[in-house]
Amino acid sequence: MSAPNLYDLRERFEKDRILLCFNGPISRSLIEEIGNALKNYLKSEQMSPACALDVFAAYIELTQNIRHYAASSQLPGVEVATVIVSYDEGYYRVSAGNIVKAKDGEALVARIEALAKLDKTDLKALYKTQLRKPRDENAVTGAGLGLIDMARKSSKPMEASLQMIDGETAYFSLSIEI
Amino acid sequence: MKDLRIDGTISSPTVIASWQEGVLYMEGDSYPENSYELYAEMVAWVSQYLAQSTSPLTLELSLLYLNTSSIKVMMDIFDEMEEYFQQGRQVSVNWYFDVDNERVAELAEEFKEDCHFPFQIIGK
Repeated sequence: MSAPNLYDLRERFEKDRILLCFNGPISRSLIEEIGNALKNYLKSEQMSPACALDVFAAYIELTQNIRHYAASSQLPGVEVATVIVSYDEGYYRVSAGNIVKAKDGEALVARIEALAKLDKTDLKALYKTQLRKPRDENAVTGAGLGLIDMARKSSKPMEASLQMIDGETAYFSLSIEI
Repeated sequence: MKDLRIDGTISSPTVIASWQEGVLYMEGDSYPENSYELYAEMVAWVSQYLAQSTSPLTLELSLLYLNTSSIKVMMDIFDEMEEYFQQGRQVSVNWYFDVDNERVAELAEEFKEDCHFPFQIIGK
């Protein structure tokens, strides 16, 4: 067995201007720890506090979405998340991916494509409607607001992709540009 | 009646409620995974205070980042305060923010849009 080629991995990180990358089972405490590292990094980059807050918010909503989905779907391997924060041409990009049931993934992509067609005013109206919807008594969280909030914060329409793994499961990823 | 104190963590704010003073104070970031569980005690305190006391209620908030489930919890509290306000009860919110971070003020502003009671957004 050969040693992993870290140099190639590093080259890829530098080419894609990846400043933070995580791949593995994500837990509540890991989300907090990585979030703290991200916060400190953004602070050291002299970024405006408002912009830093948007990047942090995108990171939290994306990773917590994966945690909630993992808890509700009970799919094996679903808690393994891939999270990347990168910087390119004046924009920060937060991306996260995980395994989903194919039909859940299709519904998500359709929802994101529908949100992409709305302008800021429509998104705000939708956000306020969703905020007022009575929550499911069984839900511990997941106000259903997360995606709308991300769509509002994203400077370009959010990009979602779905790659089929087998007939039942697929790999879903979502990317937000701040 | 009882007071409330919940110590803050990296992902949840410090919460202090004083029945005597009619003040609920929150300070910090709020992005717990289990917002409804975490805030159940605080939400119950507000409901009890509004129902059992006739004195004014003031929320003193120095909140920074709120995840969407925390936003939902806060909206529910503001809605309940609004109901009492419509019946003549004195209720108010003071939301403090760092003037360097306009995003926090924008968040507070969106809550304020839906409230008719005194809601001040105060830059520091």
